[in-house]
Parts: sequence; structure tokens; C-alpha cells
Amino acid sequence: MTDPHPDPDDDQLERSIRQIGADLASAFPSSARHPLRSLDARAMDFASADQELKAALFRFVDVTPACRSLDDLARHLREFLREVPEAPPPLAAAMRIADVKAARPAVGAAAAAGVRHMAHRFIIGETPASALGVLSDLWHHGVASSVDLLGEATVTQPEADRYAARCDEALRELARAEAGWPSRDVLERDSIGAIPRTNVSVKISALTPLLRPDAPELGRRDAAERLRPLLRRADALGAHIHIDMESLDSREAVFDLVLDVFSEEEFARGPSAGMVLQAYLRDSPEQLERILAWAAESGRTPPLTVRLVKGAYWDHELVQATQHGWPAPVFEVKAECDRNFEALTRRLLEARPAVRIAVASHNLRSVAHAIAYNRMIGGEDRDLELQVLRGLGDQLQDALASRGFRVRTYCPVGDLVAGMAYLVRRLLENTSNESFLHEQARGTSLDVLLAAP
Amino acid sequence: MSTLPAFANEPVLELRRAPVRAQLQDAMDALSPKLPLRVPVMIGSGERTGAELLSTDPGEPGRVVAVSTRATEDDVAAAVQEAERGLRTWRALPAAKRASALIRAAAWLRERRLEVAALEVRECAKPWPEADGDVCEAIDFLEYYARSAIELDAGPDLLQVPGERNDMHYAPRGVAAVISPWNFPLAIPCGMTSAALVTGNAVVLKPAEQSPGCAHVLVRALRAGGVPASAISLVAGEGDVGAALVAHPSVHTIAFTGSLPVGLEITAAAGTVAPGQNHIKRVVSELGGKNCVIVDSDADLDDAVPAIVSSAFVYAGQKCSAAARVLVHDAIADQLIERVAGAARVLVVGQADELATDVPPVIERSAQERVNRYAALAREQGRIVARVEAVPDRGWFCPPTVAIELPRDSPVLNEEIFGPLLAIDRVRDVEDACDIVDGLPYALTGGLFARDPATVRYVRQRTPVGNLYVNRGITGAMVGRQPFGGNRLSGTGSKAGGPDYLRQFVEPHVVTENTMRHGLVV
Repeated sequence: MTDPHPDPDDDQLERSIRQIGADLASAFPSSARHPLRSLDARAMDFASADQELKAALFRFVDVTPACRSLDDLARHLREFLREVPEAPPPLAAAMRIADVKAARPAVGAAAAAGVRHMAHRFIIGETPASALGVLSDLWHHGVASSVDLLGEATVTQPEADRYAARCDEALRELARAEAGWPSRDVLERDSIGAIPRTNVSVKISALTPLLRPDAPELGRRDAAERLRPLLRRADALGAHIHIDMESLDSREAVFDLVLDVFSEEEFARGPSAGMVLQAYLRDSPEQLERILAWAAESGRTPPLTVRLVKGAYWDHELVQATQHGWPAPVFEVKAECDRNFEALTRRLLEARPAVRIAVASHNLRSVAHAIAYNRMIGGEDRDLELQVLRGLGDQLQDALASRGFRVRTYCPVGDLVAGMAYLVRRLLENTSNESFLHEQARGTSLDVLLAAP
Repeated sequence: MSTLPAFANEPVLELRRAPVRAQLQDAMDALSPKLPLRVPVMIGSGERTGAELLSTDPGEPGRVVAVSTRATEDDVAAAVQEAERGLRTWRALPAAKRASALIRAAAWLRERRLEVAALEVRECAKPWPEADGDVCEAIDFLEYYARSAIELDAGPDLLQVPGERNDMHYAPRGVAAVISPWNFPLAIPCGMTSAALVTGNAVVLKPAEQSPGCAHVLVRALRAGGVPASAISLVAGEGDVGAALVAHPSVHTIAFTGSLPVGLEITAAAGTVAPGQNHIKRVVSELGGKNCVIVDSDADLDDAVPAIVSSAFVYAGQKCSAAARVLVHDAIADQLIERVAGAARVLVVGQADELATDVPPVIERSAQERVNRYAALAREQGRIVARVEAVPDRGWFCPPTVAIELPRDSPVLNEEIFGPLLAIDRVRDVEDACDIVDGLPYALTGGLFARDPATVRYVRQRTPVGNLYVNRGITGAMVGRQPFGGNRLSGTGSKAGGPDYLRQFVEPHVVTENTMRHGLVV
């Protein structure tokens, strides 16, 4: 990747990145410098080291909500572990116990509790109402949030209607509760203007059963019918709607839908809204140019917030492309992806105020780079939002808040069945050998963690 | 020929990208002025035109796609005679030479793949992704069998002891009759024909009367690739042509893909040894299916529902591998039925050339009538939980239908319907489901959605089906990855696109030479 800014500023930028990164690292809550260590699920430690065990544990977590009884659950656990050649002693013990029929309910109960415990680190409640406590705590600690409603795949029209109704209910419920929260200037205002407290992330794939990779038009029209009332609701409540991005199969439908709907006269002035750019996609720079061209042409206010993420479907995209004989749509080398992330960050920061930018990463280097570059080009800290995922970015979230940055935590809400796909993706991310968190947990030095990719 | 690179499947079009989709209309525009195609009887280098057989667009029956010449019994006799003649030179070529003709035929198809796909869209109402997949599969068969033939030609290693030399090799059987269906109008005739050719046989191809245009493309590809005209002849026509071919005493191998009744007729006819016939005919057949998907209580319905719906309704259920029956565990049956029915209700029934179409028309009027008869029976004997009534007026469209609560002896549950009609059946458990599968005469494909490895082990041990798919859809077998074919009345167990397929077209010869002469090993 060619860097568009190869000048002496580079040195200054790198120095600044190290300084900011080191400062943030020192602000990590001292009890748990290493997020992975703080996950008391010891299984995750084992899992990172052993691919077969990792597969067994993921399959178990995945099937948990579908098991009909504790006995059923214990049987599944035993069968998955049986496929691991050398189970670590604690698990081998569990397997032996699970072989005894009378002991199975106990093993099942313990395992179910383990999964629930793990899930609760990532999923803050079953419903928006039950999540309000966590959201309010975050706010009082100087952290904003975006609520994501987890759901089963939408394959029928009633399922799409139900998801839309849940989003509508969440908007109303959150707006009502959040109106009572104390004011937090850093979270509620940037140089463009007000930033809504209520922020809901919406999945287009859940708003229609008609998303077809080969015929994006169909699902786009159907989803738009359900999205418009949500936008009206958000506008009336002064809430923000963020359109999530999923796998490449639905990218075109989502992208076109967002740019189309926000071009409509009715939504030219609101609500506050945003979309996602996935830096792991090789064609993400072109996608960004399309967004920026659209933004320049439409002149919509408030401007769209572009949430820059690495992307959560890396394995899926690679496997799918390999199975079909297609070129990989994602960067296969982590450093290339990281460099692209930084290039997109710079482009977005420079494009303000046509767009707002939210950098969503747990990679300390990527975050420090965004902050440093923003400062270097004379931007204000409040014109850069940072986002983390609940359960994975908790320490970074606290560090950022303590240093006065606007940080927003993405908080999934839903039951365990619905949350399983999300949970497995998060666990996968957490145990990936390439993951920043994993590096950090292994005790890799700050110098290495903050080095240019 | 230099060594071939390892086999890899031809990549299907990445239709999720807009610029790729845009090419499709161009391909259709390029094809349209060429229609209707003219398909002569092709015997050796000769071509004959005469009494016509029309193939039409199932979505627009007034549109003639190909005007073929009906072959006569005389044509069949002439074609077999030509094949016997062609056989002598073709079989004498080194295997690598024959293989390279297949590789060149694959290249010829690759260059024209979009236009060939467009022809499938028109002649067989194959929706674009399916049509493209069929062309890719045809290319795969050519590439795969080319490599297999070279491997097979090397012969197996035999035990060797001092004083003798043992050698085993495979010789072509002779004239092969290929009788192919319309539902994979290029890939299936291509697979059977190229397997016969590459092993040194000469072929007379009798394609389905609904898709002679696609078969014509195949013959052109093979000849362009270097297969001599005398080794591949084309005789389009209806059942009488196939019957004459099967009965011909000089035919050695009959490769047939189609319905069970026709397959059994062929097997019976091939068993008759005509005066002067000095061989036993071999029938390689790939017949019907009544494919069941078992869904256990621990299945992930987010995966199972879309996979079931696409396995049942893609190409209007006209695949021998299509899902016809779901056997779902009682504990999750209500949920599954509700979601499958809901997902079926949003299926888009439309023309094959529209990318939004999920369910195209069926192939012809009689197919439409047959499917509607079964749907009426399903309504009478059970309950319809989903039926998409909004279908275009013209064309052979059938409303996609999901039926439940059918008695276990209902024809809807036991006979091959070959259309967009799915039946869902409740079972006590996986064992009950396996009993039902065991009771069916067919054993082609099967599906299982379950997450307990013990359940997966149990079903794979018990199931008689030729292709079991676990936690995924049950159609779309890929050459080299899922060798395809059924057991019981679903066929002779040959596996198209697999490592043993070519053996059906050869006979093993063993030569043992004494290498001792006067006490000396020479």
C-alpha cells in the first residue's frame, strides 16, 4: 500500500503515536492490564493454544441454547471433547464425569453456567429494559453506547416485522430512560453540533428475508420499507441510527440502501445516522471514495458517521472465496489490513466535516494513530469518536474515557439463542493468534504493539 | 502433453458483484439474434436436416430455442456404424492425446461460458446462477476426467515375481450410447460423454428432446477440442431414438441419467443379447431420488431453514438431488414448519433470466400437470402451509408449496415429484427418521442437521444414500469434491466426478509374460 503522506511529518506522527499509545496503556485499569487475563474463562486460554480444543469449545458454546436438557448438554460436551486428541486435565476430568449418567446434569449445569457467564461479558441483557442499568453505569463513567439487538436470522416476513418492532421499542425505551441522564458534554457535542445519546445499531439483514447476494435490489427495497419508519422514529426522538455492515454477500444491498435512503428528501435533515466501512476489504478505499462523493453531493446534515472497523467476517470471507475459487476479498496479511485501516483513518479525518468519523478498534496502535493524526492535522479530539465492543474493549474504553476522549461501547442485547452467532464471532476474535488483544495478553512489549504496521 | 496442473473447480461467476451481473444481459443480447439454433443429426462429418423437433423456452412457450432434426432408426444405425469405425483410430491414440482433446474442449467452453449459460437460461429455464454452475460443471468434468484418464492409463501395480512380467491395463469397451436429461443440459451429457471418450470409447449421444440445443454445443466443443467427428455423433429425438440405440447390438455401454421407469426399461432391454452380439451390455445409470433432510432437535434452524428451502426450490426442485421431504424431530417441528413455510412464502417465482427469481418454471406442460396433481393430493391428504400463488400466467410455472400432516403411505411422501413441492414430516427421533429413509426405494442424496457428533456418526453408518450432506444444503455436488450418484433404485452406484467413474467405461486386461528362457531371465 502506498502511503499518501510520505513526508517528514511521518517521524513526528510516529513519535506522537508512541506517546499517546503509552499514555493510554498506562491508563488501563491496573488490576487487569491484559484483557484476556481478565476473562476468567480459563477455557479461552486453553483454546488459544490448541486448535482442536478451540473447535470443540466453540461447537459446545454454539449448541448450548439448542440443548433440551442438562443431560443433553453434558452429552454434547462429552462428544465434542472426545474429538480432541489430548484434552487438558480439567477437561479430561469433565469428560470422565460426563460419562456417568447420574453425574451428567451436574456437568451440564456447570457447563451451561460457564457459557452464560461468558455470554454475559459480551451481551448486556436480554432486552433493552434489562440493559438500562449497564448503559446508565457506562454513561456515568463517561462512556456512550450503541445498542445492537441480537436476533435469529431473518428468513420470514414476520421475523423481519418483529425485528423492526424491537428496534422501534428499543429506540423509545432508551430515549425515555436516557433523557434522565446527567449531561456529559464530551459525549454529546462535537464541533458540528449535538450528538444523540440514544444510539441504536440496525442490521439490514434482519429487516428483510429477501437479501440475495445476486439480486441486491429486492432485499434493499423490502428493508427500506421497514427502515424508514425507524428513521422517522429516531428523528422524532433525536436518536441516532447506525446501519451495521455484515458479510460481503450483503454489502452492496446495504451500501446502496444507505446512500439511497439518506438521499431521500424526508431524511435530508435527520435523523443522525451512520454506516460502516470494513478495512479488511481490499476494495474499501474505493467504497470510502463513494461515500465521500455522495456526502459531498448530498450535503446532508447532520453528516453521516462512518464507523471504521477491521471487519468481523474474515474467516467467512476467506472460506467462501476459497470454496468458490474467487479472489480473496479481504487482506490476507494482517499488516496490510492494519496499514489500510490507518490510510482510511487519515482519509476520513481529512474528509470532515462532510462526514463524522468513529474509529472502532481494540488495536492500541490503530487508536493512537487516529488520535495522533487528528491532532497533527489540527483536528479537535472531540471530532474523533472511538468505539469498542462490550466485553472485549472494556479496558481500552476506560482508558479512553479517563483521558477525555469520546468513547462509545457497542452493546449487544438479546437472549442466548439469538446471541450465539455474535458470541462465537467474538470468541473467535479473542482467541485468534493475530488478534491485538491476544498479543497484548501474551505480554508483547508496548514498543512492538505500537510499531507501524 | 506436458503435465497438467492439479485439478481445480472452475470458479462460478461472482454474481454478488454488480459488474459481473452486468455481463449477463450482454450475453443474452448476443445469443438472442442467433435463436432458434439449428441442430442437425450429426453422424461423423456428415450432417442431415429433416423432420423437426422444437425445443421451446419453458417460461415463454411460444419462443422456439432450437429447431432440431429428429433422428430416425436409420440414423441410429448409421451413427453406431460410424462410431465402430471411429473407435479404431480413437482408441489407438495415447490416453494423453485423448485427454488433451478434453482440455481443449474445456477451453472452448470457457471462452463461451456466458453465451452457453444464456442458452441454458432459454432452453431449460435454468436461472442464471444455475446455468453458470452447469457450464462450470461441464468444464470440471472435462478437466477432471482428462486427469483421471491419464492416471488410469498407467494401470495398477501388480505383484511381480522373478521370471514373469505381469501387466494390467484398461481398454475401452467399445461404442457407448449416452442418453442424457435436460435438467443439467450441458454438464450431465458432458460428464457421461467425456468419460466414455477419454477412455477410448466412441459415443453416440441422444440428448433429452427438451434440450438438444445445449447438447449441440457440447458436440461442437468436443469436436473443436480435437475429438474426431467419427468418435462423437449426435442423434436428437424422443424415446424411440433412445430405445433404438439401447437395442443396437453393437452398443457396449449405455450411460443413462433420467427417470427410474426409463432406467429400468433400459436395463431390461440391454439385458437382451441380440443374434451376433458377442458382449454383455453395461448400463451405467443415474436415476431418481426422494431425498430426505433429517433435522435433529439440536439443529441450528438459522442454518437449516435456508438450506432446506434452497435445496427444495432452487430450479423449481428439478434436480435429482433436490430435497423432497424433511424429517424433523418433534421437539422443534412447530418452529421449523413455521419458519420453512414463512421462508417459502417469500420465494420469488419468475423468469429464469431475472436474477431475483428463486423458482423458475418447470420444464414442460406435462411436468406442470404432474406437480399440480401431487399438490392437489397433498391438499387432500394433508395440509398446505405455504403456497406462492402469484406466478406468471404464461410459461410452465408451478406455485412453490409446502405440505405437512401427510399419511406416511401418501404418494406425496414416497414418489419422486421433481417439482417445487416439499413435504415436512415429524419424527420421534433420528432413529425413526433413519427407518423412514431405509423404507424408501431411492437412495440418492440425504441431509442431516445435527450438532452432536454421535448423531452424525450414527446417521452416516446407517444411511443408504449415495451422498449425505451434514449441516448444509443437499444439492450442488462439485466435481472432485462430492463424487455424485445414488444407490438402490437411484442408480448403479457410479460416482460422477469421482475417482472410480471412468472404470465404468473400460474393461481390465491382464497380460502375463514368461520371461524365463533356458533358465535365463530375459
